[in-house]
Amino acid sequence: MLDLNRRKLIRGLGAGAVGLATGGLRIGGAHAQSQAITVTAFGGIWEQTIRDVMVPDFTKRTGVRANVLIGGPQQWMAQIEANRAKPPIDVLMNTVDLALIAGKTGLVEPMAKDKVPNLADVPARFLDVVEGNGVLFTYGAWGLAYHERVKQPPKSFKEFVEGTIKGRWRASLPSAAYTGTPQILIWSLADALGGSVDNVTPAFEAIKQMKANSVFWTGISDPLTQLESGEADVAVYVDGRAWAHFDAGAKWIRYVNPTEGGVMQPSIAQKVKNGSDAAWEYINSLLSPGPQAEVAKRMNFGVSNSKVDYPEPLGSRITPWQETRWPPFEKTGIAQREWLDRWNREIRA
Amino acid sequence: MTMTLASGKARRFWKTMTGRSSSGPTISLVWSLPAVFFMLAFFLFPLADNMIRSVGADGGWSFAPYKRLFFDPYYLEVLGVTLGFSFAVTLACLLVGYPVAYFMVRHAGRLYGLCIFFLVAPLLTSIIMRTFGWRVLLARQGFANAFMMEFGLIERPLNLLNGPVIALLATVQVLVPFMVLAITSSLQGVDRRLEESARLLGAGRASTFFRITAPLTLDGIGTGFILVFMLANGSFVTLLLLGGGSLQTFPLLIYQQINSTRDFVLAGAMSNVLLMSAVICLVIQARLLRRRGTKP
Repeated sequence: MLDLNRRKLIRGLGAGAVGLATGGLRIGGAHAQSQAITVTAFGGIWEQTIRDVMVPDFTKRTGVRANVLIGGPQQWMAQIEANRAKPPIDVLMNTVDLALIAGKTGLVEPMAKDKVPNLADVPARFLDVVEGNGVLFTYGAWGLAYHERVKQPPKSFKEFVEGTIKGRWRASLPSAAYTGTPQILIWSLADALGGSVDNVTPAFEAIKQMKANSVFWTGISDPLTQLESGEADVAVYVDGRAWAHFDAGAKWIRYVNPTEGGVMQPSIAQKVKNGSDAAWEYINSLLSPGPQAEVAKRMNFGVSNSKVDYPEPLGSRITPWQETRWPPFEKTGIAQREWLDRWNREIRA
Repeated sequence: MTMTLASGKARRFWKTMTGRSSSGPTISLVWSLPAVFFMLAFFLFPLADNMIRSVGADGGWSFAPYKRLFFDPYYLEVLGVTLGFSFAVTLACLLVGYPVAYFMVRHAGRLYGLCIFFLVAPLLTSIIMRTFGWRVLLARQGFANAFMMEFGLIERPLNLLNGPVIALLATVQVLVPFMVLAITSSLQGVDRRLEESARLLGAGRASTFFRITAPLTLDGIGTGFILVFMLANGSFVTLLLLGGGSLQTFPLLIYQQINSTRDFVLAGAMSNVLLMSAVICLVIQARLLRRRGTKP
């Protein structure tokens, strides 16, 4: 009797599994028929802005839905690589170094002006930075954020280094665990201290000397906590997030664009190869002047369409892209393995 | 097919393997299939894939990543730090956890359930939140520094965060419940008459504990030791958020390789070395404990 019941149960489970599988297939089929694309967004205000601004604009124009996938470029690229023929993502939001790799490895398609009319209003440099395999959507400039208790803040990266070594303030620096460290710290300091992408020794020597008066961070929000809690006084930080924090009520935070120029850090939008053609329309929405102005207003980041006029106080906050320093991304991408190995051995932070 | 499995051969095989004469090996095998499938799909295949990935290079085979890990003094040091940190955490958990377990079993009485609740409750909170709690407490303008300055114990705020000691303390806080629970279950099984006999025969409290109670709970200690050691070996979030780079361990380097450089080959090799080192440590611990008369 017991065996019989067990058999029934097993048969039932088997039937259930088959039912779930076929049901799943049906759901998959329905999903495909309803014409939805999958786009990507970073977490927090990024996700909210994409959902509130970009997706409605795209859906209104095309009637196609867009599912928003939250995460990071490494994860998204791994997902696409695992299923190149039928990628689970149609529009990839990426960092420059990974965008270059995605272009070289054939994960994405070159931008096409006939499919994305708004590209006509985007400066050529915003496409050239990833060799045409994507387009700059927004950008931030990495300068120096500090607490108002610092009465004589540094005006340049050079002053920042010297002041930290002398103990005038405690610095908050990105650790090797942060993806942008090779560009926003190693290359930036090397460039500011007389080195170059081929000679980053000045940066390593400076960081070694600064270490005693520095704390290192891993997450993008950490410097804000460190500045507020007194762990640090001056941080290498991005303008948009510093101003967003100010607007959120942290009236103690200040931001200075160093005289050498803040370091350009763009977010790149890419059309995934073998993804839906509706992705082109979504990228067109990403570059539309109206939605872009709203993005700039919400995120305090510079945007790519040259027709966008920033209202005050945004206009005086956003660093014009012509005034930023552009790391040689192609070279930093190649060199960063060696730099991080050196960082692990010499800096250990 | 089912009938075949249930045949005499299958029954004999089942008896040989399990030592039990079961009337239903078929059912047992069927029930085990989901677990077998799960292990194959989510453990063995990914492990094999990772192993192959770590030695595959441009269509050929290369052991360069392993050569780098075993012959470069830097990576050997990282391996030593990883294992040393895990061992220190495990030892600290034992020293903290045993008295707690002892109190719960022998003295808590009706409060035993409440103790279990307080022990398990932190496990329901995100590890990130718990780690962040340490940051709030120990920041330069946090509670600990403010308290010490208020009472004149220090003149300037101390740098309490971003060091190996705080990373160790926080990891112990996260993992100590596992040790306590393992020892508790073992302590509950100790026949108290043996301890009473020892006392009657003239043994002091300490002697009774070290010669009777502790040896009888080696099972629990062994289980707790292995559990905590394995968890500490793969510990990542606490070290990342509180270590401040002062401790470099394999899990942190693996994260860095995947997150920053996309060097999946080196990251794969590191994870395999980490796994093998953990297995070797497990075997050594198991053997040591078995010699002492227990089977963890």
